[in-house]
Amino acid sequence: MPQPLHLAVLAAAAWAVGALAFAWRRARSFGRRVLFAPPAGDPAAGVRYAFTAALLPQAKESVRLHLPSYAAGVLFHLGAFAALGRLAATMAGLELPPGPAWAVASIALLGAAAGLALLARRAITPHLRGLSTLDDYLANVLTTSFVGLGGAALLHPPLEPAWLVAAVLLLVYVPVGKIRHCVFFFSARAAMGAFFGYRGTFPSARQGG
Amino acid sequence: MTVASIEERIETLTEEQLRHGLAVFRAKLRAPEAAYLNACVHCGLCADSCHYYRTEPVLDNVPAHKLDHVAAAFKRHFTAAGRLAPGLVGARPFDRTMVRAWLDAVFGRCTLCGRCALNCTIGIGLPRVFRAARAALAAMDLVPDDLQATVDNSLEHGNNMAITRKEWVETVQWLEEELQMETGDPGARLPLDKHGAKILFTVNPREPKFFPLSLLASAKVFWAAGEDWTLASDPGWDLTNYGLFNCNDEQAGRITRNLVDAMERLGCQTLVIGECGHGFGAARWEGPEWLQTRYPFELRSVLELLEEYIESGRITVDPSRNPQLVTLHDPCNLVRHGGVSEPQRRVLRRCVAHFVEMTPSREHNFCCGGGGGQLAMAQYKDRRIRAGGMKAQQIRATGAEIVVAPCHNCIDQLMELNKEYGLGIQIRTVAEMVAAALVTVGEPAAEGKATP
Repeated sequence: MPQPLHLAVLAAAAWAVGALAFAWRRARSFGRRVLFAPPAGDPAAGVRYAFTAALLPQAKESVRLHLPSYAAGVLFHLGAFAALGRLAATMAGLELPPGPAWAVASIALLGAAAGLALLARRAITPHLRGLSTLDDYLANVLTTSFVGLGGAALLHPPLEPAWLVAAVLLLVYVPVGKIRHCVFFFSARAAMGAFFGYRGTFPSARQGG
Repeated sequence: MTVASIEERIETLTEEQLRHGLAVFRAKLRAPEAAYLNACVHCGLCADSCHYYRTEPVLDNVPAHKLDHVAAAFKRHFTAAGRLAPGLVGARPFDRTMVRAWLDAVFGRCTLCGRCALNCTIGIGLPRVFRAARAALAAMDLVPDDLQATVDNSLEHGNNMAITRKEWVETVQWLEEELQMETGDPGARLPLDKHGAKILFTVNPREPKFFPLSLLASAKVFWAAGEDWTLASDPGWDLTNYGLFNCNDEQAGRITRNLVDAMERLGCQTLVIGECGHGFGAARWEGPEWLQTRYPFELRSVLELLEEYIESGRITVDPSRNPQLVTLHDPCNLVRHGGVSEPQRRVLRRCVAHFVEMTPSREHNFCCGGGGGQLAMAQYKDRRIRAGGMKAQQIRATGAEIVVAPCHNCIDQLMELNKEYGLGIQIRTVAEMVAAALVTVGEPAAEGKATP
């Protein structure tokens, strides 16, 4: 394993973490609202609901109507987590035993396939194409490459350097574009859950339609 | 003096006005909105949650696209990536072109109903962001004229329809005579300015102006319950607050102040907000924020009060007196944003023989299309009626003969939809259904059974 590539991955990871932390702190610096209206519910219960049942198809029409996209999104994210886990293991000098290696490779390759499917969907669906910026395509290509190469390199080790290069490129890009949602998903969803929890709307009286 | 059109006002915007608008926008943002503006992944799954998109599937109606106009300016002016690589991340400057895009997106294609927030993959609270954008436009004098005129009426006359005190008081007196005739009780009252009454009841000006029977129905229920209540003759009787929609918080606060002043003037214990979604949202949730204080009194929706009367046995109802198939519309500001979804259901199940839910319902409901100030903005009428098509479909699917809507703004829109889409329905308030089901002293209650 070429040592310089490992160092590059570590440097890129440090940049990603530092820049994401900066962006998160900057968003936090906008401040909190002091609420004067007495609550009708529990914001914490709203947050719990927002991160659990509210994400499921029975509570979310957008999921029910677009199950293939939802499934592709879930797979894509699972693939990304698998590839990131493998990257962390590689940086720590750990080698995966054959069984887990096959599992990680399978999840990553499925994730990459899902990423490609989502990229194709973006390109051919008129309203999605209209919504998209260069960032949307670049973020997908970088992530799909990282995830796909992560899986492929487990089955074909000569691809390892290419995968590490993909990792560096992805980590450098993470704080710049939409992949920032890896942080802001949590703060946005928590804020939404707290808002509806405070008002007594969450948890839902009856999930779904 | 000729008033410049909104397009003329955009055309003559100065750099200083644009800077001011942007500063107001920035001042309205807090950490949640900053997170929202950083979080959209353009997955597009929000599209089908929007009644505008469902009835006219074009890019401009996709919630993420509406958000994108606002996020583009946010990124350009408040993020490093947007300043350094605007083309990459879709950042754009806040200029006249952007102002036009904001106006069309946040006033012209959105009722602030918040259905997209529930269906967003991330959980972005789009209405909170759009309210900040509306506030920026308001700061640049770019609120659509007829919406602003409604707010101006409230500021100038104490109610949004510029009803004079004389007209209001005479209407209440006339309704009192009607109530006495209907109940046969010469002591039945619609009290005005009763000092120390337990409840100050507030109404939508549409009731005295166009729907006096709604107010009469509420009065009849209060009479049957033996409630200690009053109306105010001076400002403070109107529960509406279109400041919620023009998003000028200073004006919204002044309108809320009318309610607080009336409570203090009359020494009442509980402010009861009549059947109006945005009026409840404005008074219950936003009012204390506009005034930056907690109210020194209790505030309740009349729906909670009606439920209490029935559950406690203060009034008796007979569901067989409402034999038709009845469905319920969930006003967005009362239910999704207001947290009041169950009292009206429990009341209706006790007061009507056959009740059917719309699909979807409660916080997942579709907006009627008249919210967010749309009813007051004539230039967007065609879009409003088209967007209301989703609600028309929902209603038709229930097969209901009566649609109950605890909101007079929604009722106005539903009446238009009824005509436009040939629904053949009657539209009622909850209080009207309760009043129709009331069993008064000496009357036998039939063995009517409400559907579960």
